[in-house]
Amino acid sequence: MTLLNVVQDYFWGFLIATGMTLRLTAVSLVLAVVIGLLFAFLKISKYRVANIIADAYIGITRGMPLIVQLMFLYFGISSIVTLTAFWAGSFALALHAGGYVAEILRGAIQNVDRGQTEAARSLGMSHGMSMRLIVLPQAVRRAIPPLGNQFIIGLKDSSLVAFLGVPELFSKAMTAAAANYSPFNTYLVAGTYYLVLVIIFTWLVHKLETRLTPYRQEATR
Amino acid sequence: MSVIDIKGLHKSFGDLEVLKGIDLAIETGEVVVIIGPSGSGKSTLLRCLNFLEYPTEGEIRVNGELIDPKKTDLDKVRQHMGMVFQHFQLFPHKNVLHNITIAPMNVKNATRKAANMVARDLLQKVGLPDKEKAWPSQLSGGQKQRVAIARALAMDPDIMLFDEVTSALDPELVNEVLQVMQDLAAGGMTMVVVTHEMGFAREVASRVIMMDDGRIIEEGTPEQLFGDPQEERTRMFLSQVL
Ligand SMILES: Nc1ncnc2c1ncn2[C@@H]1O[C@H](COP(=O)(O)OP(=O)(O)OP(=O)(O)O)[C@@H](O)[C@H]1O
Ligand SMILES: [Mg+2]
Repeated sequence: MTLLNVVQDYFWGFLIATGMTLRLTAVSLVLAVVIGLLFAFLKISKYRVANIIADAYIGITRGMPLIVQLMFLYFGISSIVTLTAFWAGSFALALHAGGYVAEILRGAIQNVDRGQTEAARSLGMSHGMSMRLIVLPQAVRRAIPPLGNQFIIGLKDSSLVAFLGVPELFSKAMTAAAANYSPFNTYLVAGTYYLVLVIIFTWLVHKLETRLTPYRQEATR
Repeated sequence: MSVIDIKGLHKSFGDLEVLKGIDLAIETGEVVVIIGPSGSGKSTLLRCLNFLEYPTEGEIRVNGELIDPKKTDLDKVRQHMGMVFQHFQLFPHKNVLHNITIAPMNVKNATRKAANMVARDLLQKVGLPDKEKAWPSQLSGGQKQRVAIARALAMDPDIMLFDEVTSALDPELVNEVLQVMQDLAAGGMTMVVVTHEMGFAREVASRVIMMDDGRIIEEGTPEQLFGDPQEERTRMFLSQVL
């Protein structure tokens, strides 16, 4: 098949599969942020046990190939509770990205000047209030570029969920390539879909960053 | 009654004993200026007053109440004490008005309207009525520090603590901040001021305290301390800074 034929035949099919890729990515990244925030707090907690739990989690999720974690969760967990491939895939992606998100958020929180917390506490704010009103808003804004980066990795990683049989973009591409004997052109088209998504996403992250930091008109100390 | 009454205050960081037995009472309306060489424990003392550091030993009474950092609600205690820092520590993600209203609105549940009114009034007092919409990053050092003073005043504190608030400023910006502090003192505010500005100490202080190596080695009126210092170490220090 020529490249043009591939585009003609699969344009819509790939686009629908892209919808599935985006759903996987969105669900897993929302979960990853929740998980990441939880473990970031465990990591900076003053309780040893919490630190150890966070270190173990971050170490494990970062220390194993994603595909192994995917398979483990899908086949391992689904022998206990039944999970659809979509949710198993989303959870696995989220748990994996969560470890990286935790590290990004921990760094961002700890990079906020301690003097900011002291100023907040000196005004009578509780620990929780100074976290919520002063530290976290600054940390999240600073974390946006590395988080955006992690989200792009998550988008691309979602392709591995094809091996669980979720009909997302890469799985559609594999099926198509096997049927039409033109893997080169087929994967070229599928790859371009991913590339376009990443470009759009990068642009959105950049927009978000400028939108959220109107105060960064000069370097702030 | 003293606003703050300290007896036998010791503070150590690990093996390093920074405060070695401080007794100090601060009366309502007093302006106490603390001077002394770098590392003598001035900041640590100030930070013990509002429990940013916990004393290792000793008693601190605030408005007569003995404070136990483990039991007393320190957030409540700090609401009655304002603090201004060397490096301003304005909240960079909030504009000037919000920097001033955030604590009254969240800590004291003031309405936005009431908090805004207080904030505008204070901005007037510190000479920045037209800056309420500015971001901290758009202000000069002197303006930042004046906003920081307004922010602390918005909680309507009984006492204000100042830790070298002009040390990070360009020389030409020092006076606008000192002027605000002088006005505050003239208005009857109880203040504890750590500073190297001896002119300010001489003019505004009701009492000057000389610290060295974790102890108060001498104290008195500005006339006594600058005019006729008793301790050799005070004379040495003054000859270096004057
Ligand atoms: N959090 C801390 N941990 C360990 N040591 C500390 C801490 N804070 C202060 N110190 C030490 O305590 C001593 C007194 O410090 P402090 O900041 O109170 O002095 P200072 O009189 O304010 O000096 P300066 O004029 O330089 O501000 C110094 O030796 C300092 O290194
Ligand atoms: Mg100091």
